[in-house]
Order: sequence, then C-alpha cells, then structure tokens
Amino acid sequence: MPTRLTIIGAGPGGYVAAIRAAQKGAQVTVVEESEVGGTCLNRGCIPTKTLIASTEALEHVRNSAAFGVELTGEVRYNLNRIRERKDKVVETQIKGIRALFKNRGITLIPGKGSLLSKDVVRSVQKDGTTQDIRSDRIIIATGSRPARIAGFAFDGESVMTSDDAVQLKNVPKHLLIIGAGVIGCEFAFIYSSLGAAVTIVELMPRALSTEDEDLSLIIERELKKAKISLVTSTSVTAIGRTADGAVTADLSNGNKIKADAVLVSIGRSLNTEHLRLEDAGLTAGKRGEISVNDKMETAIPGIYAVGDVTGNLMLAHVASRQGIVAAENALGGDVRMDYASVPAGIFTRPEIGSVGLREHQARERGIEVKIGKFPYRALGKAHASGEITGLFKIIADAATDRVLGVHICGARASDLVHEGALAIRMGTTARQLGNMVHAHPTFAEGMGEAAEDVHGSAIHMPGERMER
Amino acid sequence: MNPDDIKYHREHAWVRVEGKHATIGITDFAQQQLGDIVYVDLPEADTEVDADSELCEIESTKATSPVVSPVSGTVHEVNDDLADSPEIINEDPYGNGWIAVITMSDPSEVNDLMSRDEYEKFLKEEEER
Repeated sequence: MPTRLTIIGAGPGGYVAAIRAAQKGAQVTVVEESEVGGTCLNRGCIPTKTLIASTEALEHVRNSAAFGVELTGEVRYNLNRIRERKDKVVETQIKGIRALFKNRGITLIPGKGSLLSKDVVRSVQKDGTTQDIRSDRIIIATGSRPARIAGFAFDGESVMTSDDAVQLKNVPKHLLIIGAGVIGCEFAFIYSSLGAAVTIVELMPRALSTEDEDLSLIIERELKKAKISLVTSTSVTAIGRTADGAVTADLSNGNKIKADAVLVSIGRSLNTEHLRLEDAGLTAGKRGEISVNDKMETAIPGIYAVGDVTGNLMLAHVASRQGIVAAENALGGDVRMDYASVPAGIFTRPEIGSVGLREHQARERGIEVKIGKFPYRALGKAHASGEITGLFKIIADAATDRVLGVHICGARASDLVHEGALAIRMGTTARQLGNMVHAHPTFAEGMGEAAEDVHGSAIHMPGERMER
Repeated sequence: MNPDDIKYHREHAWVRVEGKHATIGITDFAQQQLGDIVYVDLPEADTEVDADSELCEIESTKATSPVVSPVSGTVHEVNDDLADSPEIINEDPYGNGWIAVITMSDPSEVNDLMSRDEYEKFLKEEEER
C-alpha cells in the first residue's frame, strides 16, 4: 500500500512537496484554505513582478527619446488594465498548479488544516464541513502573513499591508511606507513610477539592511534619483487620522508625516496558531516557528515542516527546496537542506541578486577575505542597453580563493547571480571564475571582471595593480 | 576657457569667493574627463565639509567620482537645477553648472589654492607624467 502523505498548505513549499511525493508513488492529499500557490503566487512574488513589468514598460516609454524613439502622444497608464494583466498572470499560474495536481493524482481539499493527532489531519471548510485525513506522514507548510503593528487601524486602503498594496486599488498622492526591506523598497519603486510621492521610514541605519552594504548604497541613491525620500534610523511611534481622511505618522525623531496612505512592511508573522500543534505533541517557538532539522523533520517522527513556518529564510525557492527534501525523506530518502548557496532576488530598480556571505558578515565571522568589484558602467552591453547603474561584487576567501559571496545590483542581477550560486556550491575559486570565458557582449562579463578584480587583474578598470 | 577670477584645487574643483561664501564647481578638465554627467548626488544644506574631503559624488556614463571641496565650512546652498539636469555641468562648468555654496570656516584656505595659470601648468605637468 502506498504511503499516505498529507500536506497542509499549497504554497511553494507544499505544492512542490506534493508533486515530488506523487512522483515517488505516494498517495498525496493537500489541504489548502484559499488558493494554490500561496503567498508567492497570489499576493507576493508573481503579482508584484507583474506590476513591476508594467512600471518598467512605463519607464521605458518615458525614456524612449534617449533611444531615439519619439512618441507623439501623451504617455499614461491604465490602472484597470495593469490590475487585469496581473490577475490573468496569477490565474494562469494557478491553473498550471491545479493541472499538475490533477495530472499527478494529488487530492486537493479546500479547507483549513489542523492536526488532530500525530497521524490525523482535520480539514474544516468554510461551511463547517470537516474531513479527517488519516496520514502516514504529514508536512506542515502553512506559510506566513504580513506582520501588523498593534494599535494601527488596518483598513486595506489607507492603512495597508503588502496583501492590500499588491491589489493596487488606487495610487495615493503621498504614500508612506514603514520599513525599507525587500517589500518596502519594491513597492516604493512601483508606486513611485505610478506617480505617488513616496516616503520610506526605516528603523535600521540603511535600506535593505540584510544585504551587502555596497548594494544598499546603490539602492539608496536610486531611491533618491526616483525622488523617493528615505528616512533611516527612525521608527513610527503612532499613526493617526485627520478629519479629511489623511493618515498622520509620528516619528521617533519628533517629526510628523502626513500621507494619503501607509503601507506597513516590517516583516511577516508565521501561520501556526490554528494548527493545534500540541495535539500532535509539537510546540511552536517564540515567533511561532516550528523547529526542524536539516532533513525538515520536526520533533515528532513522521511530521515535517517546510517554508516560512520553519522561521528560516523566508524565500519561495527555499520553501520549495525544503518541500522536496521533506517529501524525499518522508518517503524513505536521506536528503538534507544546504543554505550556503541559496541565491535571492530583490526587484528594485535596478534589481539585486545576492548569494552567500556579505562583506560585513565575513568581517563579523573573522574570515579574511579579498574583494573584487566591477561597475556596470564599464560594460559595453550596459551602455548599449542604457542600463549603466550597478555593481558586481565578489567576496573570496583570502586563504583558499574560494568564492564565498556574490552580490550584484544592476540590470538582470537576479538571473546573473546564479553563476555565483554555482561557484559557491562547487567550491570554485575567484581565479577559476575569472579564467572562465564570458561571452561578449553580455552583462555576465561583469562577473568575469569582478572575479579578475579579486586579484587586481580586471581588464576594463583603470589604475589596477595586478598581483604577480 | 578657464576663467581667472576663480581659484583651482588639484582635485579639479574650483571656488569663487564672495565674502565668506565660496561657490564650488568642477573644472572644465574634470567634466571632460568624466564625460556625460548623468547624476549629481547633491550635498544637503547645513552639512559640514572639510577642505580636501568629499563634498558629493558625480555619476557620469564613465565613472562615479567624488567632488572634493577646496575649502572647509558648511553647505549654505545647493544648485537644485542639477537634480533634473546634471548635464548643465558639461555645458557650463564655471557658470550654471556650479554645485554648492559653502560658508567658509577658514577663508585663509583659499590662499593655498591655485590661480588659473598655476592650474593650467599643473594640468600640463599631469599630462606629461
């Protein structure tokens, strides 16, 4: 008899786990309370990238004269069409996952999943119908939701989370964004392109504070160029409303900001409260996280957890990989997670791709490193494309020359970074990376030059002193 | 043509002094070296700056380069026109392309700067090196 595997949550962790388990012959049931694809597909990665594609098109048209393309009419956007396009893209992807499920014989049960015991999952539908699913193995993949600040009156329009901002109901004249992390910065560029005056207030001393400092500096300047104002090392202590419907924010530096809407993007809360973990013998940690080992096993044999609920790196592709690892192990495999070479993209303007150690992390850990940098504006392709802003940065171990980190800010950075991920995963040295031929004319040439620059031998850099 | 009513700094910046105020810009040589200027990261008013240290940064299609302040003081005024039209520096480096006005804390520093003739000689020497 095949193993009965039940997965709670059909986001990028759960649905990928389901498909892998079905590939391996398990009898798979997925309990999902809303739509397949999770935050990523319905409210996160995919819809925001769709909006960004629209604003990029808009920016291209606005700058068309620089490319010798003259427009004779007024340039304007249609918010309804932008929204419709986003909805259509999301819908197509949802259908794709549903088709994969059907094709693999995976049972999808609409309902809120919880644990009745260590081998029974209960699904409760909106109309109250319950169904108990006896399971040999269980994978918890319930994800996360935007964190809210207590006392702020979230109404989805003038006080929003990213779940609301992505719906793009309207474009406020002045948008205040609390938090200059990934979500805050991405939305800042989106709403700014659509004509909103944007102010970001950030608690940390810099934007994108988990990234390498050099990348933060570039994005901070690009925010400035886009006339987005950034206030760092400052918190919002209270939010109020004026008689005319505007939102006011009191800042820790004593200033007050008046805006038409505020987006709170200060992190995410984990969806574990309704799981009845204790009924299966599990307990959640301080942040609500479910602890797992590198095989994605929880403290209870047979129960696995993947994705945001594990409190680890909150990235869709990490959840998916964890889902594969959990599915393999649940079906008798022995596979482990490796986080050292996980790349990440941030879709600011320009975008960021990063993997591995940041320079400050290397310093904190006392690792002696050599650093290579190469600017986009020294690449012919960057000039030809009109995308000269940006930097390639490679961090190599001074003793072994192995690549420890690759940080790119510039056009196509989120794709380019994968060369760095492979280098880290395979233990490649900066010299090997520099010796690899990179095609001309491409943006990827910057990787080769940055690798050369680790040893002072980049060709297209003035005043380099090469190591002999 | 380099004007003779201003003083020059070896990092290719110039100052025009009026009382305790010094208007600062980059020289024609500097703008030629930089090529098409695409962005000036203007300093903020009231920022303090030391002589020979970075006042702000200029991005051109070729490079990102610091603008070095020839004098010490406090930023009194900045040229906001550069925010949207940085190319003014290429077009008129000694006039409309000025970057900032500094209220000098030590006007005697101006005495250490070069005259036009000295600067042009300096450029020639640099070139020959």
